[in-house]
Amino acid sequence: MKMFRKWTGSKPQVMKELPSVDDESAQLTSDIGQNELILKQVFQNCSDIIFRKIHISGHTQWLIVYLESLVDDTNLDDHVLRPLMSGYASHDDSAPDEIEGVDDRVLPLGKIQRTSKVTDIVRHLLIGQVAILAAEDTRAMTVAVNGRVQRNPEEPPSELVLRGPRDGFIENISTNMGLLRSRIKTSRLKMEAYTVGELTQTEVVIAYVDGIADDNVIEEVRKRVTSIQIDGVLESGYIEQFIEDLPLSPFPQVNSTERPDVIAAGLLKGKIAILVDTTPFVLLVPMTFWTGLQASEDHYNRSIFATFVRWIRFLFIFISIFAPSLYVAVTTFHQEMIPTNLMLSIAAAREAVPFPALIETLLMETMFEALREAGVRMPRQVGQAVSIVGALVIGQAAVEAGIISAPVVIVVATTGIASFTVPRFNFANGIQLLRFPMILLAGTLGLYGIVLGFLGTLLHVTALRSFGTPYFTPLGPLTYKSLKDVLISAPIWEEAEAMRSSTAGTNNSANVRQGQPSNSNQGNRPSGGN
Amino acid sequence: MKPFMYIGLLLIVLITTGCWDRTEINDIAFVMGTAMDLTDDGNIMGSVQIAIPPSAQGGPGKSRKQEQYFMISAVGKNSSEVIRNLQDKLSRRLFYAHRSVVFVGEPLARHGIKDVLDHFSRDPRTRLRTFIMVAKGNEGREILKIRYPFEQVPSEAVREMEVSKAGLGVTIRDLFIAAASEGINPVMGVIEGAVPSKGMEDSANKIFRLAGAAVFKDFKLAGFLNNKETRGLLWVLDKMKIGRITATIPGDNGNVGMVLTDSKRKITADVRGSRIKIHILLQGNGSLYENNTKLDIGQSENLKLVQAALEKSVEADVQGLLTKAQKKYKVDVIGFGQTIYRDQPKQWKLLREKWDQQFPEVDVSLTVKITIRDTGMAGPPLLLEEKEIKK
Repeated sequence: MKMFRKWTGSKPQVMKELPSVDDESAQLTSDIGQNELILKQVFQNCSDIIFRKIHISGHTQWLIVYLESLVDDTNLDDHVLRPLMSGYASHDDSAPDEIEGVDDRVLPLGKIQRTSKVTDIVRHLLIGQVAILAAEDTRAMTVAVNGRVQRNPEEPPSELVLRGPRDGFIENISTNMGLLRSRIKTSRLKMEAYTVGELTQTEVVIAYVDGIADDNVIEEVRKRVTSIQIDGVLESGYIEQFIEDLPLSPFPQVNSTERPDVIAAGLLKGKIAILVDTTPFVLLVPMTFWTGLQASEDHYNRSIFATFVRWIRFLFIFISIFAPSLYVAVTTFHQEMIPTNLMLSIAAAREAVPFPALIETLLMETMFEALREAGVRMPRQVGQAVSIVGALVIGQAAVEAGIISAPVVIVVATTGIASFTVPRFNFANGIQLLRFPMILLAGTLGLYGIVLGFLGTLLHVTALRSFGTPYFTPLGPLTYKSLKDVLISAPIWEEAEAMRSSTAGTNNSANVRQGQPSNSNQGNRPSGGN
Repeated sequence: MKPFMYIGLLLIVLITTGCWDRTEINDIAFVMGTAMDLTDDGNIMGSVQIAIPPSAQGGPGKSRKQEQYFMISAVGKNSSEVIRNLQDKLSRRLFYAHRSVVFVGEPLARHGIKDVLDHFSRDPRTRLRTFIMVAKGNEGREILKIRYPFEQVPSEAVREMEVSKAGLGVTIRDLFIAAASEGINPVMGVIEGAVPSKGMEDSANKIFRLAGAAVFKDFKLAGFLNNKETRGLLWVLDKMKIGRITATIPGDNGNVGMVLTDSKRKITADVRGSRIKIHILLQGNGSLYENNTKLDIGQSENLKLVQAALEKSVEADVQGLLTKAQKKYKVDVIGFGQTIYRDQPKQWKLLREKWDQQFPEVDVSLTVKITIRDTGMAGPPLLLEEKEIKK
């Protein structure tokens, strides 16, 4: 990592030194006018800051400060302004004129904090809370009247399922936490909050199920997350890159998903989730090679079918990496390996093609990647044009013009389809990257090169670790019991049993519910909670 | 920076090795079949049949009828020289891995193929699984010239014929194994070219057919076995996989046909000094496929009759083979010597040197056992009336 920085010649950015109002020790004064000035100085040139004064008996009794853009007006009116004003009007004598009394008697709000530190007030204002300052009081009150615009938790477009819950994480972290809480209703689901990012002050939550997750891994995640030094965190990808074991590997070592059920399943298996505010992508560590090949649906579908689909994926991940390179190697080095009739067909197709097979394949693969990349960000209306151009021009016309041979088009198309069978798209990206060096190796060294490349990849994958877990577990260090969820997708009661035994001795039925229908015809099946 | 240096060095290793055996498909001439012949001055003439990949694409031009293969020949004093001279005539590199058949012209076969064969075992680019055949009464290259309607290249058709187990199917590998083994002499498949099929003599397209086996002695052609004798040979060599047997039923003026589904053979040798007795037991199971007699083979006596007739027919085939091998060519193609070598190695040591003289004197007894497992859906032929059927 250090080496990489030196290589790219980039240095951590140095900020222009600003007049510090973030002085940790700055306190509110007892003069409300002075306090207003302090805050106004902090929020200089911020057009969305509102200072609302409530005058009582000719002097300013309350000063309400908030950022208009982050606060829900209706909530503010109903729960802050009206109680303060009307409370004063109706109970003239008993109306509190200092902070202490207000939260007890006037404000019907849950999350109320009192502080006298300017930095705290500023921080709370910035996350959408309302600060209430009273005259002649050195303390202010911040109340949560959050009203940030948020969308509904709808099905994430990047991870569609046929069967499974249709909700997805959104850009609001508390909603996301709620989605997890609603799935795992136990106090053992811990959520530790941290703030990362000098300027963005992004909330990052580490979630895990106490007693299932490994304490050492939790500690490691804490350590890595808290040591992040960065100005801004805009997406969980930022965090991912910081905490990854080997960022330059093509294989992602942190799983990320928009689906709450995937995260919940991971938490129940002892993994640790990292939620980041303002992004629907939640991270899950540790990740293994095989999680990259598992879809959430695998456990919702019937076991036999899920196993079949999983093997299709195993097959196609191989095709995805090796199909083009095998084609290149066999046609340029090992023509004797192809059955005679197929050989003659390929020879016929290649007869008019001016390029060597290596160049031809690289050309088509690059073209395909370009098409894919163009298609991802293309507005939907234009997308059709791209697919027509892709199919007709690149496919048919190139073959008819004799620039590209038909077998290459078939190989590249198969490869394309194969790479889409990988359920985790960041994992699929890594697989795609491997394809090109493989083609080059095949074009220079033949099958020998492919074997070299395969061995190299295997060495890398087995040496890789994600938060202390070998990446190839449970096949890398072989544990037969865990193979149930790798080579096959075992029925869920098989796995439930494995999960139960791993949490045996605790008195919480986090994974096996009470009253689980005991339709067992086998005695050894779990029949309920403890 | 060290890792980058290492990676750089590794890359150099990868790159500078060069692509030494890298060949594009369109720089290769696929040899599909080879023919070896003897020229008048004692040199070897090699001919190769090369497939022309039909260029289906390449411009809007509609695919016109083009040749799918062509043949070139060259003369040399040995195989290397022939190949060099062949290569001089080609713009593409000769590629032998897809060759399916090697034809040996009869004159060369009679002259001896020893000098030609070594090349096939030495050059790693040739395949030992290539079939090798003698072109009966013909030069090998004449076979390469014959068109065949089915496969893209005629040699491929020959390979298909051999693979289908109808013929002897001797590959170069089989030939070497037989030649290197004790007490057996190699045989080869035989192909006969330009034979008009009966009934269509005036057809312009003369095709080739498998025609039995060729018997070699000291790598020189000793003679041919006809199809019947070859069938007997297949069974005796335990190479028979499937086969059809026909027989005439004595006293009924009709015939039957059966298909063998499995067959076994057992050869036992009894050596007492110079008195050698060989017993051959052939066993076969199969189903009856044709019954042109008036017999109701649903009856077990009739079935026995049919089986006996079939056994007689096989016996005649094998007997014919034995007569030819022992009396005419005096070549042990069946491997009686091998049986003695395996069962009584001590005796073989004494016999080995004079086996060629001993072989014709060997006393051979033959037993054939055929069992019909399945007589089909009908007992007697359906077209007969009830009273015509012999119960």
